Amino acid sequence: MFRSVVPRAAPRALLRPVSQSTFCAPNLYFQGRLRRGYASEAEEKDLVIIGGGVAGYVAAIKAGQAGLKVACIEKRGSLGGTCLNVGCIPSKSLLNNSHLYHTILHDTKARGIEVGDVTLNLGAMMKAKETSVSGLTKGIEFLFKKNNVEYIKGTGAFKDEHTVAVNLVEGGETEVRGKNIFIATGSEATPFPGLTIDEEKVITSTGAIALKEVPKKMIVIGGGIIGLEMGSVWSRLGAEVTVVEYLGQIGGPGMDNEIAKLTQKLLTKQGMKFKLNTKVMGGDVSTSSVAINVEAAKGGKEESLDADVVLVAIGRRPYTAGLGLENIGLETDERGRLIIDQEFRTKIPHIRSIGDVTFGPMLAHKAEEEAVAAIEYLIKGYGHVNYGAIPSVMYTHPEVAWVGQNEQELKAADVKYKTGSFPFSANSRAKTNLDTEGIVKFLADAKTDRILGIHIVGPNAGEMIAEGVLALEYGASSEDVARTSHAHPTLSEAFKEAAMATYDKAIHY
Amino acid sequence: MPALSPTMTEGNITSWKVKEGDSFVAGDVLLEIETDKAQMDVEAQDDGIVAKIIVQDGAKAVQVGARIAVTAEPGDDLSSLDIPAEDNPSPKRESSAKETPKEQSSEPPKEDKPAPKHSGSSDATKKPSGGKAQKQTYPLYPSVQHLLKENGLGKSEADKIPATGPNGRLLKGDVLSYLGRIEESYAAESAKRIASLAHLDLSNIKVAAPKKEAPSKKTEAATEAPTSVSEVEIALSVSLKAVIECQKRVQESIGVFLPISTFIARATELANEDLPRSKTSKPSADELFDAVLGLDKIAGRKYARGHFAPQITAMPLASLGARAFVGKKPDILDILSGKKSGPRSKKVSTTSGTTAIAPLNVFSISVPKGDEKRGQVFLERVKSVLEAEPGRLVV
Repeated sequence: MFRSVVPRAAPRALLRPVSQSTFCAPNLYFQGRLRRGYASEAEEKDLVIIGGGVAGYVAAIKAGQAGLKVACIEKRGSLGGTCLNVGCIPSKSLLNNSHLYHTILHDTKARGIEVGDVTLNLGAMMKAKETSVSGLTKGIEFLFKKNNVEYIKGTGAFKDEHTVAVNLVEGGETEVRGKNIFIATGSEATPFPGLTIDEEKVITSTGAIALKEVPKKMIVIGGGIIGLEMGSVWSRLGAEVTVVEYLGQIGGPGMDNEIAKLTQKLLTKQGMKFKLNTKVMGGDVSTSSVAINVEAAKGGKEESLDADVVLVAIGRRPYTAGLGLENIGLETDERGRLIIDQEFRTKIPHIRSIGDVTFGPMLAHKAEEEAVAAIEYLIKGYGHVNYGAIPSVMYTHPEVAWVGQNEQELKAADVKYKTGSFPFSANSRAKTNLDTEGIVKFLADAKTDRILGIHIVGPNAGEMIAEGVLALEYGASSEDVARTSHAHPTLSEAFKEAAMATYDKAIHY
Repeated sequence: MPALSPTMTEGNITSWKVKEGDSFVAGDVLLEIETDKAQMDVEAQDDGIVAKIIVQDGAKAVQVGARIAVTAEPGDDLSSLDIPAEDNPSPKRESSAKETPKEQSSEPPKEDKPAPKHSGSSDATKKPSGGKAQKQTYPLYPSVQHLLKENGLGKSEADKIPATGPNGRLLKGDVLSYLGRIEESYAAESAKRIASLAHLDLSNIKVAAPKKEAPSKKTEAATEAPTSVSEVEIALSVSLKAVIECQKRVQESIGVFLPISTFIARATELANEDLPRSKTSKPSADELFDAVLGLDKIAGRKYARGHFAPQITAMPLASLGARAFVGKKPDILDILSGKKSGPRSKKVSTTSGTTAIAPLNVFSISVPKGDEKRGQVFLERVKSVLEAEPGRLVV
């Protein structure tokens, strides 16, 4: 702490009055400075992490807490990766605020609140988003300092198995050596063949959180979570949104069929349009608008859709470009994922890989779990990630959340199961909130009653799923949840009632 | 042959880690199995003895569910065992793990499966399979408690029920199978299926075709660049007359002797404040901290703290030309630019005290090319403080 004797916020005069400087501060200052300087040059780090996203920064902090000498390389210029800078966080800011706007515009009157002219100031809404983002990324920077993580702003590339060359953001290059190296370079949006992303007319999620004005018409290619969330935002702000999905259901492969159908119904009611089983053949961006050619997935009738903006949300792919994997002979699989074992080791044992760049669902909280587990493997030899109990949440309104297996998966695995569900329309709190759309659905083993999956569409589903994850992690039966007290009147009572409906009968339905 | 992943249908036996007649305890590695991509150890779930190995090392494409070995209870007499004929060789996925019901002969040998095992032949009414019965140290789940009470079983009974939950926790299904309400092995099988979901499925990995290497050399070439950043020496002569006078004054007035080195260090500290920003250095930790706090906007980005420490040479001893390598001090800038410093001399400012301070000295620093102006500003500030107002350095 001795360095803080120089007041940081003091106005910087050319020559400060000496009275501000403590007696022997300068000497101390230099000794400390020089010693630190040598240390970082001569010694090898215990751990070098390439990527300061959720996987990378969590691993860095955890390693710092464990007393390892750790450096984290990030090229974006701010920490937090896709999630904090252009993903989860900014999109949630827009989702929340656009929901408020939409509510005030359409809903508050029925609740007895009459608001005069409601106008949208998109610039201010974006600013609110940026404030949230910068607050959080700086927070991580602070945590790095607190936990003695060296933060290197630059692009890392493998030089050899222990050395990473860093092309610094502010010019110049350096090199770090690490006894261990973690690859946590994350993922990028998969481009759509034939459509060039310009982030203005043809956008990915990155462009979708930074549009300068509300488009009149918007086409979303891909009806997964990202597409539906961003489609929701712009639909609420006034765009006419059409979602084109190749598969027969929205929400991606993890979402339960029944939940997906219900969600689609609710979103359609809010004004979004859906074209399922529809293939995008190509697009034309030559005019001021974008024309997208689609046809039925099983062949047949062709159609041309017109829009101001096209959002490409067909998924994400691991990002390893420029990492120099070829210099150390590391391999990826056919989808670009780094090949690892159960302890996240690549075939070079001191190099591990975590997060989106390797196997498993591309979720920030999965990356976080892996980061902690990988550090624990490193220092304790054992780590824990239960891939069977990782929740997924879609932050539309109502929210959709699930954990464990869905009905189609259980059928495919030939497991006998029973279901129990409870609608929010029968939940007292949802009723008082005038927000009664959605259900809680339990899937439990037909014989043992052990919970196999929980699927929720409804208000606050994303928070409620945490209880389901805990139940799954502990191998609980639906009876266990049903016999646990839930506060009244809360939305979570619907969760309890659904559990009751699974092993016995619900009371309020 | 146990199914080690939900998609596995067959596997190769790489090697047995136990021999016939060996006894093992739960957790011992019995054999190594290789599927199309992964190689995995099969661990014993229970204690026992290897009665017979049926499929030997190196066997290829053994169907899931096929019998590969027979194990017996610890203490069993192997010579008296008769091994029942394999009655379930079908490669059906889940059923493979199921224990085929067998006549209770005197000593029932069992098929070697990772999860379900007979816990013993002692009690025919309860032969639940799956995890071991163990003392339940955690609070019982509400459903479990309920079932036990309902069926007149005490808490102590709970410790005898084989538990299949995470970390040996007793689940509702375990009690149900103990009570005979459901098939005895069912809870264990479903526990095994769920446990397999807890791991990443890393079987069937298809390695991408190697890409052609073309642009890989580029980055390496660029890496060399910064190490060759040339250093420039900047020097300025400074008179320490004023400092020595000031030193005397201080000693006379308050009786405290301040070494010259203290003056120099303080002057250096002052002069290092707010130097023009280096073009080559990365932001210091302080700046990052300021950035975190949002103070960089207040202070402006044009200035940055320097980390110069001047090398001081008494004028008569060295000419300007010979100065270049005279005791060049290790400098933070060397470190920043990745340059190894030459022979390290002692830090003059902390060692010399009063001894070798001549009235006129040359202060020199070495800076990376491009930062000459920054260095020059620094030296001029040191000079002005030391020559014009050393009194400021005393307080």
